[in-house]
Amino acid sequence: MISFINVLVNGLLLGGIYAITAMGLSLQYGVARILNIAHGEFIMVGAFLTFVLHTKLGINPLFGLAVAGPVLFVVGYLIQRILFKTLKDRTPTPAAFEGSSMLMAFGILFVVQSIAIFIWGTNVQGYSYLAYSVYLGDIRFSVNRLVILVISVLICLLFYLFLTRTRTGKAIRAASQDPDAAGLMGVNINRMLALCFAFGAMMAGFAGMLISMVFPIYTTMGMQYTIIAIIVVVLGGLGSIPGSMIGGFLLGIFSAIVSAKDPGLTMAAYYLLFLVLLLVKPSGIFGR
Amino acid sequence: MKLLMLEVKDLNVAYGNVQVLWDVSLNVAEGEIVVLLGANGAGKTTLLNAITGLVRPLGGNVSFLGRDITGLPPNEIVEHGIAYLPEGGRLFPDMSVQENLEMGSYLKNNWKIRKNRLEYVYNVFPRLKERRKQLAKTLSGGERQMLAMGRCLMSNPKMGFFDELSYGLAPKLVKEAFAMLKSLRDLGLTIFLIEQNANQSLEIADRAYVLENGRIVNSGTANELLHSDHIRKAYLGL
Ligand SMILES: Nc1ncnc2c1ncn2[C@@H]1O[C@H](COP(=O)(O)OP(=O)(O)OP(=O)(O)O)[C@@H](O)[C@H]1O
Ligand SMILES: [Mg+2]
Repeated sequence: MISFINVLVNGLLLGGIYAITAMGLSLQYGVARILNIAHGEFIMVGAFLTFVLHTKLGINPLFGLAVAGPVLFVVGYLIQRILFKTLKDRTPTPAAFEGSSMLMAFGILFVVQSIAIFIWGTNVQGYSYLAYSVYLGDIRFSVNRLVILVISVLICLLFYLFLTRTRTGKAIRAASQDPDAAGLMGVNINRMLALCFAFGAMMAGFAGMLISMVFPIYTTMGMQYTIIAIIVVVLGGLGSIPGSMIGGFLLGIFSAIVSAKDPGLTMAAYYLLFLVLLLVKPSGIFGR
Repeated sequence: MKLLMLEVKDLNVAYGNVQVLWDVSLNVAEGEIVVLLGANGAGKTTLLNAITGLVRPLGGNVSFLGRDITGLPPNEIVEHGIAYLPEGGRLFPDMSVQENLEMGSYLKNNWKIRKNRLEYVYNVFPRLKERRKQLAKTLSGGERQMLAMGRCLMSNPKMGFFDELSYGLAPKLVKEAFAMLKSLRDLGLTIFLIEQNANQSLEIADRAYVLENGRIVNSGTANELLHSDHIRKAYLGL
């Protein structure tokens, strides 16, 4: 029983990171129709930013939230405005844009990764922060994981409130459901596209910061997280933000159960789940 | 002489290589109800899309209250006081009734007074108030049209464009919808209307244009058209 609770809790901790990662990807796909294969690279950059600030300048990793998030927000905004917007204007149809934007994201992936390797090399890095355990009853928790869970739940909650309660948040949702109709309401679609891509990159920055607190980081870590994000997004329903949140936690728990049996099987189990999902319910749990 | 609200001059529109509108010119004065008649595929929706910026015209001019709005993006065009009920309503399916209405007040100045506008629209359509928490995609066809109409009113527009308001409505509701347009006009809304339902729309309209194969082929007061042979044969089935 105790071991089951332990697995569940571990799954939730992991799930928080997955939820944020997937939410970012979902935002970029849902409105901007960009399947951002470079999402993991943004996560890697967020992780290294936090790592460098902490190890070189002694800045608290939690403060990395206030750095990695906003920095990547700006980077994301510029990338959308300079690269994807130009591509979109030159692509005749939305369907063609989905394809060509993915190729462009591939390009971004390799550019960002190469620069990161140039700066930080290929070694596995890490630091330890709040890496001790506390006991609640008979169950042992590591403090940094608990902190991560709290932060990720908070981020999900705040972002959910932003999307459902604010003028801009509602405009983002409207634009993802019918961009033309949103334009007729007065929504500046180009601004929303850039904003959503920027928010997606910001989520990647947050996720990178959280990951750096508990996992080793390396400049080629991105792909793994992109794949996880894609699986979660399919699990939760393409473009559905609540779906991504809940899907993230579900995949976290799934992963914890599998790795309790054998950690080596985790990735294989993800792919298997992914394939089964595509066959059984391709629209996801919350799919339209 | 009444104030000229909308003026369309020699508008040409094409999708790729296929031209669908040819030198379309028309105008609407303040406080008028003008209806555009035309068969399926004549180019009626295309005309409204070009006026509201969803489609970029090849050539020609659209001006609203004397200002050139040709080729502006929709979000800038609606800022001039234009509301457009597009074909099929185009609601936001996964947003609630109330959120759909709120989107109608998205423009900065309207957003501040959206509570007042909501109250007004709920007064006009009590049915929407009952269903305010329901997702738009779960509404009945008639309720959807009400919501689309309500969403237009949320921006307190000067001029409304309605693409087949009566589509999918039961005869009784069609009557109500047209009566409602008339009362909105009496409250100061200028109306441009696309209709399949020539008979009833001509009854409430002041003037009408007829579009065939992308060209304006006939125009006049509603009364003139009701009695023209061409209209009686082609659109009234008499
Ligand atoms: N996005 C598009 N791409 C290519 N052709 C289009 C497009 N939209 C409309 N058309 C074509 O333009 C012509 C005019 O279409 P439009 O929708 O304006 O007609 P309509 O008068 O509104 O017809 P209906 O009464 O059936 O709604 C049609 O031949 C249609 O096939
Ligand atoms: Mg039409």
